[in-house]
Amino acid sequence: MPLISLTNITKNYRSMRALDDVSLEMDAGITGLLGPNGAGKSTLIKLILGLVKISSGSGSILGHRLGRDGRQIRNKIGYMPEDDCYIPGMSGVEVVQFSACLAGLPQVEALRRAHEILDFCGMKQERYRTIDTYSTGMRQKTKFAAAIVHDPEFLIFDEPTSGLDPEEREALLNRIKLLSRTAGKSVLISTHILPDVQAICDDVLILSQGKVVLKDRLENLNRTTSPTIRFRVLGDASLMMACLTEQGLTATQKFDGQIALEGTHDVSDDLVERIWSAARTTGSTVQSITPARNSLEEIFLSTVNATREATHAAS
Amino acid sequence: MPLHDVGYRKWQGQPTSQISRFQIITSTGIRLASESRWVRRMLFFAWLPVMYWGVGFFVIERAMESDSNIVTDTMEAANLPPLAVAVAKQHTRPFNDPVKISRLLRNQFQMIPQVEMLAFTIETGDQTQTRNIVWRWLLMTFFRYPQALLILFLIGSIAPPLISRDIRSRAFLLYFSRPIGKLEYIFGKLCVPMGFIVFVTTLPALALYVFAILMSPDLSVFWATWDIPIRILLATVALVIPTASLALMLSSLTQESRYASFAWFTVWALGHGAWVAVLFATAIQLGRPPMYAVVMESATVKNWSVLSLYNNLGDVQAWIFGFVPFEDVWKGVVMLGAVSLVSLVVLYRRVAAPIGV
Repeated sequence: MPLISLTNITKNYRSMRALDDVSLEMDAGITGLLGPNGAGKSTLIKLILGLVKISSGSGSILGHRLGRDGRQIRNKIGYMPEDDCYIPGMSGVEVVQFSACLAGLPQVEALRRAHEILDFCGMKQERYRTIDTYSTGMRQKTKFAAAIVHDPEFLIFDEPTSGLDPEEREALLNRIKLLSRTAGKSVLISTHILPDVQAICDDVLILSQGKVVLKDRLENLNRTTSPTIRFRVLGDASLMMACLTEQGLTATQKFDGQIALEGTHDVSDDLVERIWSAARTTGSTVQSITPARNSLEEIFLSTVNATREATHAAS
Repeated sequence: MPLHDVGYRKWQGQPTSQISRFQIITSTGIRLASESRWVRRMLFFAWLPVMYWGVGFFVIERAMESDSNIVTDTMEAANLPPLAVAVAKQHTRPFNDPVKISRLLRNQFQMIPQVEMLAFTIETGDQTQTRNIVWRWLLMTFFRYPQALLILFLIGSIAPPLISRDIRSRAFLLYFSRPIGKLEYIFGKLCVPMGFIVFVTTLPALALYVFAILMSPDLSVFWATWDIPIRILLATVALVIPTASLALMLSSLTQESRYASFAWFTVWALGHGAWVAVLFATAIQLGRPPMYAVVMESATVKNWSVLSLYNNLGDVQAWIFGFVPFEDVWKGVVMLGAVSLVSLVVLYRRVAAPIGV
C-alpha cells in the first residue's frame, strides 16, 4: 500500500488553481519534490499535512483519509518548514522540547529526547542560547531537530539545506539518508537544489503549474535513452571525433565539450584501447571515461519547459 | 561528538492525551510572559491590596464580636481627637441594628465608592446576613478597584505579544504542523491571560475569604457565607472571558505587539473617557458634583455606562455579589457578551487565515 495516494486532487485559492487534477502515489524511500516557484509544492505539502482543504478529489496519507483525519496524519508526520518559525525568547533546546510536547511526548521525556536529537544534529552548547541569536545554519538544524524529535513515520523537509555551508549541507543530507536507510523513515524533500536530490533521493516528483509532470525513480531518469559513454578531451576534439568515426564509432560533441560515444554502456578494455589509440593519433589526452547519464537539471528544464509550451499552445 | 551521542533512536513511549495538549501552550506562554521584569513586579504588587483588605476583614470581624471595643480602642491608641472617639463610642456594636449601621456608613464613609450600595443592602436585606453582606461588599470592591486596575496593566503587558509574536515569527507552523487544532491553540493562548487574572484576583480573594473565616468567632460562619467562594468564581468568569478574548483578538490583528498594546489601552480609555464626559456633562446640567448619587443614578449616565468596559465589568460583578438586580445590569451583560463573542470570532478567523494561505 502506498504511503501517499492522491486521486484527482484540485485546490483552488479563489480564482487561482494551485493544484490541478493531481494524481500520484508515493512509496517508502526518499522522494525529491521539484518544481519552479509557484508550481504548487507548498500547497501539496500543506495538503498532505491537512492544513488546507482540498477543492475536489480524494486521497489517503499513511492510511488516513485526506481531509478528514488531519490530526492523525500530523501525528505521524514531521515537518520542517522552509521559513524560520520559532518562538522568540526560547532557547534551541526549549524549541525542540516544546515541539515534542506538542506532538504528545511527556515533558521530561521530551527534554531528554530533545537533547538526544540535538546531539544527533550536531548542536553543541549553543542549544542553550535563545534562538533569536542563532545563525541561519543553527536555525536550520533546530528546525530539523524539531521535525524529527517525536519519531514520526514520514518526514517532510522544505528546502532543508538552504543557507547551509557545504560541510553542513553534506552532514544534513547524510542525516536524512541515515534516517531513511537505517531508521526506516520515508522522506519528502522539496528543494530547488538539484544536486541534493541527485545525492540522496530514490524518486523524483516534478510539479509544474499545479500538475504532476514527472514521477519516476531517479535511476530510471538518469539512464539515457540510448546507452552512451562520455569522456573529456584535452586537445583538438574535432580531430579526435573524426578519428573515432573512422574506427566505426558514433561520436558527437556535447555542449559541455565532452565527447559522447553512442551505442554502448560498457567501458570495456577494447573500447578504452580504441579511445587511447585515437588520442595518440591526434596528439590529445583523454579524461574520465564514464557511462553517460542524464543530468537532473536537463530533465527538470526540459520537463518544465515542455509543460509551459503545452499550456501556451492550449491557451 | 557529544559524550552521550546515541545517534538516532526510535521513541516508543506513550503519548500524552490530546486534551492536555493546550496546557503546554499555556504553560509556555505563562513562562515566557513571566520572564518580563515588569510583569514580575506587577505580580508582586498584585498581592499587596490583600493586606489592606485583610485589615478590613479583621476590623469587621472584631467589631462584630459582642463585647468588642476595637474601633474605639484603635482610635484612642492612635491619639485621635476625643470628640471623634466619643462619636465612635456612640456607634459601638452597631451591627445589631441595620438602620444604625446604614446611617453610620452613609454619614461616616460617604467618600468610599459603592458604600451607598452596602448601606442600602444592609438596610433592606436579611438582618441575620449582615456578615455575609459586608464580606461580599469587601470582596466586590477588592475585585472592582485595585485588582481591576492592575489587570488592565497586567493584561496590557502580557497579552499583546501572545499571538502577534507568533504571526511575526511564523510560529503558526510550529503549532499547526503538529497534531494541534485551531481551537486548542486559541484555548491554550486564552488560558495565559486567564491564568494571570486568576492569580491576581481569584486566589487573593479566596485567600481573603479563608482569612475572614479564620478571623471569625467559629467555623460555623462558613455556613452563613458558603455562597461567597462561588460568587468569587463567577465574578472571575465574568472578568476573564471578555478581557482575555479582547486582548487576544487585538494581539491577533497585528504583527507588532506594541500596536496591540496601544489598542488595548485605547479601547479601555476611550470607552471610559466617553462615559466620564457624559457624567461631567450631566453633573453640570444638574448643578451637582459628578460623584453625587443624583448624578450617578441619572438615566443619562446609566444609559451611557455601557460604553465603558470597566463599568460593565463592575456592574456585572455587583450583580454577581448580590448588590444590584439583573434589571439594572442586563445591558452590561449583553455588552460583555457581545465583546467576548465578536472577539472570539475575529480571533478564530485571524488564527485560521495564515494556515489556509
